[in-house]
Amino acid sequence: MKNNLSNLSKKGLLFAALRHEEMPRIPWVPFAGVHAGSLKGYKADQVLTDKEKLIESLLEVNHQYDPDGQPVVFDLQIEAEILGCDLVWAENAPPSVATHPLASTLELPTRLPEKTDGRLPLVLDAMASMKTEVGSHTALYGLVTGPFTLASHLRGTEIFMDMFDHPEYLRGLIAYTTRVAKRVSEYYLDAGMDIIAVVDPLVSQISPKHFRNFLSEDFTGLFSFIREKGAFSSFFVCGDATKNVEAMCQTAPDCIAVDENIDMLAAKQITDQYDITLEGNIPLTTCMLFGTQQDNMKYVLDLIDAMFPGDVLPKNLIISPGCDMPYDVPVDNVVGTMQAIREPETARLMVANYQSGEIDLDQVSLPNYEQLAKPLMEVFTLDSASCPACGYMLNAATRVFTELAGSVDMVEYKITEPKNVARMHKMGVKNLPSILINGQVKFSSIIPSNRELIDALKEAIK
Amino acid sequence: MSATIQEIYTGVVEGDRDQVVEAVQQALNEGDSAETILKQGMMAAMGEVGRLFEEGEYFVPELLVAARAMQGGMDILRPLLVAEDVEPVGKIVIGTVKGDLHDIGKNLVSMMMQGAGFEVTDLGTDVAPEKFVDAVKTSGANLVAMSALLTTTMANMPATIAAFDQAGIRDKVKIMIGGAPVTDQFAQKIGADGYAPDANQAARLALSLIA
Repeated sequence: MKNNLSNLSKKGLLFAALRHEEMPRIPWVPFAGVHAGSLKGYKADQVLTDKEKLIESLLEVNHQYDPDGQPVVFDLQIEAEILGCDLVWAENAPPSVATHPLASTLELPTRLPEKTDGRLPLVLDAMASMKTEVGSHTALYGLVTGPFTLASHLRGTEIFMDMFDHPEYLRGLIAYTTRVAKRVSEYYLDAGMDIIAVVDPLVSQISPKHFRNFLSEDFTGLFSFIREKGAFSSFFVCGDATKNVEAMCQTAPDCIAVDENIDMLAAKQITDQYDITLEGNIPLTTCMLFGTQQDNMKYVLDLIDAMFPGDVLPKNLIISPGCDMPYDVPVDNVVGTMQAIREPETARLMVANYQSGEIDLDQVSLPNYEQLAKPLMEVFTLDSASCPACGYMLNAATRVFTELAGSVDMVEYKITEPKNVARMHKMGVKNLPSILINGQVKFSSIIPSNRELIDALKEAIK
Repeated sequence: MSATIQEIYTGVVEGDRDQVVEAVQQALNEGDSAETILKQGMMAAMGEVGRLFEEGEYFVPELLVAARAMQGGMDILRPLLVAEDVEPVGKIVIGTVKGDLHDIGKNLVSMMMQGAGFEVTDLGTDVAPEKFVDAVKTSGANLVAMSALLTTTMANMPATIAAFDQAGIRDKVKIMIGGAPVTDQFAQKIGADGYAPDANQAARLALSLIA
């Protein structure tokens, strides 16, 4: 059984998670929306409006973060824009809805988006390209705006009053936005998406009673529709939706994705009762944006330990950021997260060494960097054999080492060995993978090109 | 508590504006002062609404209709409170920071502040640092509350605090912050006076900051 499981492809692994089967390891899905652009130096508004930049950025996510599953676009304003909401754009965040066309009318729209509307052509082209480029090994997510959140984009905050003042109108509006979600889901499935994520952050702001009264029926219909089309579904929510988890389960998605406001252990007790996969929930701000690489690894390890103590094979869990990653999340933190999911034992060693406080720095003797015969490249990796980003960093150094044919020296330090953790401390290396030249950190997480690395070496020789 | 004040209280908690308006008028006819109606009826009710919200019994819609019911009563009481010389417990300027258009949370805080007896100047969304400063100068507020929903607009919180420093009035106001990505740690880091994770705790924090 274990052997069959370990032969699963990355995509197959994610599908196994969504089929609620036991897995050799937990799948990893980085929600890289606008953050994808940051990997290639593109702003959020560029990556959400320029097809080439979007695809280039998404491929970089696939390259650097080696996901089992990956969303193609993370923007909850695509449908709203088509249906008449004005957007305000930002350089480092998704756009915001600025106007609500139904704010002062009880009109029920009927128009459904066409494939040629708004930014759908860009999204559909990007989906087709990603399917061709990485779709054989990576499961791809199409994200549709959830019916309640889309209704709030159209109606504004009046939607909350409608629950008391105009309940029938609200039911009609949710039925309409559900039709929109079905139509857009169809387009995304035609473009090759494997999973449709229904992203409805606003669900956390209403009571289970209101959820059941206004949303249950339409959401159930939407997930059933996706299933009939032969695809998997996921129900993304943000905020403290603790009280709604059970009602969400009863709409029968294949997966529910939550953020750090929800206790994963408590939520999993509920989702397991319905045999629904739970996904989440690395904290976006405290951990991913402002935490260290070790903080992120520790969060993942603690989550795994809490969910599957002992040698229990994982089931019904996918690890992801709590929601769309902030634009400026350090690459190191995402790499560390991925490594902790893929190689928890290696990560455990690193975190334990960090926490022990007993690192013997005296066991490490450093070269006299001032007196080196040749420039020295020191490559610090989590483990280049198992961590893709570390492998790319090592490859970058090796290529230049070979190209310069004997005029530089190179050494790799994997932190799987405690003495190398001590060396990392002594050298002041904060994040992995990193390349140091003559004792100075020159490249951290972002893999340099041959030219950049050679220039840095030349600079060191001066 | 008289039966009529109890009716006002229940009307606010249950979000029934018509009931509140009718009962406020009746309480006035029965000789209750505007201050009594405000404090024993409406403010007490909003305290209960806040408690229910904090405990996860009430959600955004329940809070909004409760606040609307209170507003119905306040429309009648406001001129009478002025005539009775009833002072607000404090004056607060509130808004979302520059670049941030997300106002649901800010609106909830604003409502809970009014429910706690504050005079609120709501600057709305996307508020520039200088606008916060000007509003404090104009209104004489002793508190500023700002929110951000985005990790990217959080950066405008320290900029707003810096604007108060530059204007030389930082020591005249207490500044509190909130919003989904904001933490207590962040508040301390940027030199804010406090952080609250939800609307009810924001009202409690505001009261403690001016105590």
